Amino acid sequence: MTSNKNSPPNITLKKCDVVIVGAGAAGSLLAAGLAQSGKTTVILEAGPERKLSDLVSSGLHSRKLKWFGSPVEESGDKPIGNNFNSGYGTGGSALHHFAVWPRLHEEDFQMKSLYNRGLDWPLTYHELRPYYDRIQKQLGISGDKMAEIWRPKGAKYPMDPVPTLAQGEVIARGFKKLGRKTAPLPMAINTDEYNGRDPCIWDGWCDAGCPTGALANPLVTTLPEALKNGALIRHNATVCQILTNDKGDKATGVIYIDADGQRIMQPAKLVILAAFAVQTPRLMLLSANDAHPNGLSNQNGLVGKYLMSHTAGLIYGLFDEETQCYLGAAGGQLLNQDHYDQKDKRAKGFGSFQWMIAQATKPNDLLGFAGSNTALFGDALTNFMKKAAHGFATMTACVEDLPVKENHVRLSENTDNHGLPLAHTHHNSHPDSKALWHASLEDGKSVFKAAGAAEIWTGPEGAMHIMGGTVMGKDAKRSVTDSYGKCHEIDNLFIAGSGLFPTSGGVNPTFTVHALSLRAADFIKENWSNLT
Amino acid sequence: MNINRRKFHKASGAVLLAYAVGGDLLLLSPAKPQEQKVPYQILTEEEAGLLELLSEAIVPDAQKSGISHYIDHQLAAPKADNMLILKYLGVPHPQVNFYRQALLAFKKSCPLFQKKNITDVTASELQDYVKLMIQQNPPDWHDAPPAPFFYFTLRSDAIDVTYGTMEGFSKLNIPYMAHIEPAGKGWA
Ligand SMILES: Cc1cc2nc3c(=O)[nH]c(=O)nc-3n(C[C@H](O)[C@H](O)[C@H](O)COP(=O)(O)OP(=O)(O)OC[C@H]3O[C@@H](n4cnc5c(N)ncnc54)[C@H](O)[C@@H]3O)c2cc1C
Repeated sequence: MTSNKNSPPNITLKKCDVVIVGAGAAGSLLAAGLAQSGKTTVILEAGPERKLSDLVSSGLHSRKLKWFGSPVEESGDKPIGNNFNSGYGTGGSALHHFAVWPRLHEEDFQMKSLYNRGLDWPLTYHELRPYYDRIQKQLGISGDKMAEIWRPKGAKYPMDPVPTLAQGEVIARGFKKLGRKTAPLPMAINTDEYNGRDPCIWDGWCDAGCPTGALANPLVTTLPEALKNGALIRHNATVCQILTNDKGDKATGVIYIDADGQRIMQPAKLVILAAFAVQTPRLMLLSANDAHPNGLSNQNGLVGKYLMSHTAGLIYGLFDEETQCYLGAAGGQLLNQDHYDQKDKRAKGFGSFQWMIAQATKPNDLLGFAGSNTALFGDALTNFMKKAAHGFATMTACVEDLPVKENHVRLSENTDNHGLPLAHTHHNSHPDSKALWHASLEDGKSVFKAAGAAEIWTGPEGAMHIMGGTVMGKDAKRSVTDSYGKCHEIDNLFIAGSGLFPTSGGVNPTFTVHALSLRAADFIKENWSNLT
Repeated sequence: MNINRRKFHKASGAVLLAYAVGGDLLLLSPAKPQEQKVPYQILTEEEAGLLELLSEAIVPDAQKSGISHYIDHQLAAPKADNMLILKYLGVPHPQVNFYRQALLAFKKSCPLFQKKNITDVTASELQDYVKLMIQQNPPDWHDAPPAPFFYFTLRSDAIDVTYGTMEGFSKLNIPYMAHIEPAGKGWA
C-alpha cells in the first residue's frame, strides 16, 4: 500500500503531550524522564515488540534483531553497514549492543577550536560530565576509575570492574611487555546485583541480546520505567511524516503507518525524533512542506550531512595456550587509550582511537572466529577452527571518523512498499581517518607480537556505530539543533541519539547518547511552557 | 581467571527447523530433513545439489549439517524470521534470486560439469575452482552476484550450520552456555 503524503489520515488519535519516534536508547530514556514528570507520553516504534524471552542465545537468532524496516541504500568506499549496525523493534540497536561505555574526552568536544578539524560541540565535557555521572549511577557501570589513567574527570564507577579472563590476560601481557597499561573496560554490565538486576555470568552472548538483565539495555532499564510512569508504546508503528502548523514554527504531531497499512495521526504538543542516525534525517526530509520546502528545519541544507561511522581496527591472533575466547562479554574485557589525546601528533593520520581488548568470540557470524580469515576453506578451515576454538584472541580499535559534509543521508529515487523514498547513505573514509586506521593495525600487531602470538592477522576496514546526520551546534547556520537537540527552526521539535554528534571521538557512543538525552529531558521539563 | 564451571552441552536439539507434516509441526535440526529427504520448499533438487557440493568444498561437513535445507527454509521464511547473513550484507528480502543466479553461474562456469554429472563431482575436486572464485568471477560466471561475494556468503552460511549450532560447538569441544537455548525455538 502506498502512503500519499497529502491523503488524510485514516484515524486521528487524542492529542498527547509528547510523541517519541523510536524505542531505542535515546527514546526510551526520554520517555522515562518525561512520563515521570507527568507528561502524557507515546512512543512509536517501527519494529516489532521484543521480550526478554525472545533473546535466544544464538548467532543466528541474533540476526532477527537487526534492521529490517525500509531498505537503506549505501554507497561510498566505506559504507556505514546500516543493517549490521542498527536494530529494529523494542530497544532499538541498544537491545543487542555490547555495552562498552567509555566517556568522550574533553578535546573531542572542541575539535574545530583546538585543531581546526571537523566541528565543535555546542557544549563542553564539563557541562556534560554531571549527566555522565548521573547515568552511570542510574543504570550501573562496572569499571575501575583509577586504572583508567586516560579517563577525563568524573565520579567513581558504582560497580567493581569486569573480570579479566584467559584471553584478556594473554593480550594484556603484550601491552605490559611494551611498557603500556590496560584497564578494565568500562561496561554497562553488572558485576554485582544492581537495582534489582542480576550480575553477568560472562557467557559471551551479548550480541544476541542479554535476557538476564545484567546488560543495561532499554528492555530492563529505561523502558520499564517509562511504562511504569504511564508512557504508552505502540509497535509496528512506522512514522512517515512530522506535521507542522502552516507557519512552520511548531510541530503538531506525526503520522504513522500501522501493521495494517493504516495512516494514523498522533497529535502532540512536543515531538522527539529518536529514530537513529539514518531514519531521523530521512523523516525530516520526507516531511518537507510549504513552510519547510527542503525538509523540516533544513534551511541551511545540513539535515543528513556529516554522517560518521567508526572504523574497526581488527587484530586477530592464534596462541599456543588456552584463551577461552568464547567467554566474557562481546565488547571485551580490557581497555587501552594510549595517545588518545594526541590527535594532532600522530605519525600517521589524525584523530583518536582506543583498544577494546579480548572480545568474547563464538565460532560463527561476522564477528566470529571463522569470519576472521575468510580466505580459509576446505581442510585448512577445519584445522583452523579446531585451533582457534582454544587459542584465538582478538582486539578491536575504535577509530575516529572525521566529519565531512560529503558523507550524508539523502532521499533516494527508489521507494519502499509504502511508496516513500528510501534513505540513501553515502560514506567515504576520510584520508586522515584511514591513515589512523592503518596506524592502529600496526600498533595492534606489535602488541600481539609482544604477547607471543604464533600467528597474527588483521581484518578489513569495517564500519562500527553510526553517528551524525543531524548535528548539534551553537550556530544555527552550521548545525541542525542546539545543545539540547532542539531544532533551530522549530521550538517543539527535538532530536535525540547519536545523530546529534558533531564529531565521533574514538570511543563508543551510547554512554554519551544517554548523557545527552538525560540533559535534554531536564531541559524539556524545565522549559515546557516556553517550548509548547 | 579460567571459567570451567559448566558442563559441555551434548544436546541433540540444536537449532531447529519447523516443518508442517500432516497437520503437525515437526521440529527437526537442519541435518535431519537432509537425512529424511524432506522435500525442498524453494530450491529445486538440482539447485540443492549444487549448493551442497560447493558448500562442502568450502566448509567440510556442511552437507551433513544440512546446508541445503537450512538455506531453503530461510528463503521460505517471512522477512521477520529471516536469519540469513545476507540480511546485513545489503541484499534485500526476498533473497531467492541471489542464490538461484549464483548457483546457475556456478553450474555454467565450473569446467568439471562439462565432463561429469553434478552428482559425480566431489567436493575435493573443486579446490582450484574455489581458489579462483575467492579472487574473481571464473570465466563464464555471468548474470549473477560477484563470485567472491557469493563465496563469502555461502562460506558464512555453511559455517552457521556446521559450527553455529549447539552440535557445532561441541564438535569444537567448546561449551555453548546458552542463557536461552535455541532448541525448541523453530526456524520458522
Ligand atoms: C551489534 C552492535 C553492538 C554495539 N555495541 C555498542 C557498544 O558496545 N557501545 C556503544 O556505546 N554502542 C554500541 N552500539 C551502538 C548503539 O547500539 C547505538 O549507539 C545506540 O543504540 C543508538 O541509540 P539511538 O536511540 O540513537 O538508536 P536506536 O537504539 O537504534 O533506536 C532507534 C529506534 O528507532 C526505531 N525507528 C527507526 N525509524 C523509525 C520510524 N520511522 N518510526 C518509528 N520508529 C523508528 C528503530 O526501529 C529503533 O528501534 C552497538 C550497536 C550494535 C548494532
